Amino acid sequence: MSIYLFIEQIINGLIIGSTYALIGSGIALIYGTMRVLNLAHGEFYMLGGYFVFYLAVTMGLAPWIAIPAAVFGAFLLGMAIQRTTIHFLFGREGWMFSTIAATLGLSIFLQNAALLLFGEQFQTVPYYISGIVELGQIRIPAQRILIFVVAMTTIGAMTYMLKYTRLGWAIRATSQDRDAAAVVGIPAERIYMITFGIAAALGAIAAAMLAPIYSINPWSGLPILLKGFVVVILGGLGSFPGAIAGGLILGVVEAVGVQITSSEWRDVISFGLMIAVIWWRPWGLFGSKPS
Amino acid sequence: MSDTPMLRVENLDVFYGSYQVLWDVGLELGNDEVVAVLGPNGSGKSTVLKAIMGLVPIRSGRVIFEGEDLTQVPTHEMVAHGISMVLERRRLFTNMTVRENILLGAYHKSVAKDTKARLEWVESLFPILAERRDQIAGKMSGGEQQMVAIARSLMSKPRLLLMDEPYLGLAPKIVDQIVQIIRKINSEGIAILFNEQNVKLSFGVSDHGYLLEGGRMVLSGTGDEMMNSDVVRRVYLGV
Amino acid sequence: MFQPLTPLKWLGILGAIAAMLILPAVTQDTYLLHVLILAMVFGIFASAWNFVTGFAGLKTFGHHAFFALGAYGSALIGINLGLSPWLTIWLGGLIAALAGLFIGLPVLRIRSMPHVAIVTLGFAEIVRITLSNLTDITRGELGLWGIPAFEGFTLPVVGEVVFSPADKVPYYYLALALLLLSVAVITALMRSKTGLSLIAMRDGEDAAESLGVNLTRQKLQVFVVSSFLVGVAGAFYGHYISILTPAAVAGVDLMILIIAMVLVGGLGTLSGPLVGALVLTILVEFLRDLDTFRMLVYGAIIVLSVMFLPKGLVTIGQRFRRQPQAPATEAE
Repeated sequence: MSIYLFIEQIINGLIIGSTYALIGSGIALIYGTMRVLNLAHGEFYMLGGYFVFYLAVTMGLAPWIAIPAAVFGAFLLGMAIQRTTIHFLFGREGWMFSTIAATLGLSIFLQNAALLLFGEQFQTVPYYISGIVELGQIRIPAQRILIFVVAMTTIGAMTYMLKYTRLGWAIRATSQDRDAAAVVGIPAERIYMITFGIAAALGAIAAAMLAPIYSINPWSGLPILLKGFVVVILGGLGSFPGAIAGGLILGVVEAVGVQITSSEWRDVISFGLMIAVIWWRPWGLFGSKPS
Repeated sequence: MSDTPMLRVENLDVFYGSYQVLWDVGLELGNDEVVAVLGPNGSGKSTVLKAIMGLVPIRSGRVIFEGEDLTQVPTHEMVAHGISMVLERRRLFTNMTVRENILLGAYHKSVAKDTKARLEWVESLFPILAERRDQIAGKMSGGEQQMVAIARSLMSKPRLLLMDEPYLGLAPKIVDQIVQIIRKINSEGIAILFNEQNVKLSFGVSDHGYLLEGGRMVLSGTGDEMMNSDVVRRVYLGV
Repeated sequence: MFQPLTPLKWLGILGAIAAMLILPAVTQDTYLLHVLILAMVFGIFASAWNFVTGFAGLKTFGHHAFFALGAYGSALIGINLGLSPWLTIWLGGLIAALAGLFIGLPVLRIRSMPHVAIVTLGFAEIVRITLSNLTDITRGELGLWGIPAFEGFTLPVVGEVVFSPADKVPYYYLALALLLLSVAVITALMRSKTGLSLIAMRDGEDAAESLGVNLTRQKLQVFVVSSFLVGVAGAFYGHYISILTPAAVAGVDLMILIIAMVLVGGLGTLSGPLVGALVLTILVEFLRDLDTFRMLVYGAIIVLSVMFLPKGLVTIGQRFRRQPQAPATEAE
């Protein structure tokens, strides 16, 4: 295989990896802040995709309106879901398992709600920008470059928010010590709600970017969820920066792995990698061993 | 000292699940006072402070601060009422810097004015923290962490500061420093309610104290009164 | 769960068993029998999963892998080696048990619950994808058919017993036998030294750990036994339904079904998973006409029962009798 094809694959891997990073960072954010493993995260992605489809295709809005609106819708949905279900489980005994179980139930509920509302056909969204970008011998569709730019910009914005804004500090503080956060005046429950919303929005952005390439259907959530899990295992379960690195790495590993075997084994490669990491370094490739 | 106490706790009953840990506990604290809640391990002294702050639910009883009933107020609103707390074992935001930790003390909107001036005052109390402001809090020594925790609690300009076992796990030299800091804070007009196991140590600093045993208040009084009491001997030494 | 059974409870259990034994004599409705057979298969699966999750405290989400391995193992050995299902279902269970050993060892080293959930999910997905991709052997998603049926035999009073798609009654009794066997195995293990030490540890895991108590071997035992039982249930399922697809037996939907059953019935109780299996299988069939609404209701049931019935249906009676709790160690 020519070197240029190989480089193209690596670049594609990074591009897909950046969307994995978005998805994984949503899971990491929720887990880091409230120690909930959100098994319904794939459905946030799936519903985000449907929102985009509905706004951009059914209602015919231009992508630069449809996408932010869809993302905002996902944000609101995420907050609503947290407030009406997960919220009530905190503080109960066995909450760690019951929140996982509750998100599992939510996942099926949302899957089938989507099935009812939107039907079972696979939907697609037209490319937002057309054309191919050529860098010497390497050709990448402009749409894919857009994906990377949007994903990395989002990640950059999130990093800035977490590091420098009042909300970001509140989220970080709550995830590090809930009682201490309460004592300085941070309302944990509101932070949880907002965090869920942000995570859903991140999933929706990923969905919006991938919608023109991969179709949208009610079952697209599960494979995305599993990808997200691999990402957070690689990066460390509650770590936002870890998820970014993990996502990019996973994208590249998959791209290379699929060249060696074939695409139908791609997920086995990623799960195998995940299990290996849990076996040897359960705190993630970038985390530090808890004392 | 005015007639109405700044803080009054009445008939406090606290349960962990269905197991009662505090029975009919009451205490009073006047403006600018430093008051100690004493008792051995398991006496419930930490629970009293946590109950005041809303970190554990109150089954019955009242917490009245400056004439207002704060019993049902959630923890994150307490700082807006002028009460701040230094938690047991520091409880810093371990992955954030010293500066971020301290500034978070002024998070709540109602206390977020004059942050700059307050920060300067706090850094004057703890000059070492000004030097270390970009260090990750989790990597500092126990004494330094305690200073960060106290500094953080002062940023909201509290009128009452609760301190849960402020000397726990600290070397004697650091303990002396903390004692000095408590005196300094109090001299600036902040009342302090703290708990401590060591009776003698606490009376170097406090105006009066309360003794808890098995979740019940068994004695109260000034330093001299309590130091000479048989009750104290019984509670601590079982004689 | 471990108080000696009151006479009333004994009566209840014997009555239930008697009712189940008599049922096919009362009605020959093939649909009803089919639903009950499924309920029993899921009952075995649910009990075995509850054994690991609610009892040994290992919150796994990938148990359906063992169901699939048992099903495909037994079916493939039967098809390719011509062995009788009466033998191969146990081989299927064995294959599942070996897989249980293989995945159980690393999983037990992981302390954190979310990591366990993720690993077991990932493992089950690997099994599913592998079964799906190895089309030469398993025919993948096209479906594996031609699975041998149980051979008939002759019984003294009853006469010829034939296992055919038309007559559900023999399958019914076989399923019942396997169910009773599974429950007996689980109960025996629970009351053994292994089981009692696990119960003692369950509520005080951190304390036990700090004392240096390590029950990894016991937990592994439970895990392997559980996978064996689930494998046998899967194998039976394969020979009963006569066709297998990876999506049907190794898909996450199946695991979700089982989790729902156990949560609704009561996690950590003995009868909970069985009650849950019965209730939900019947509910699912009842809702079959509503098609898509079915899974919607399912999801809602899981969420609602976690929120409002955290201990499951079987403990509704207990809720009105306050139980004294252990004193908190942090009474400071």
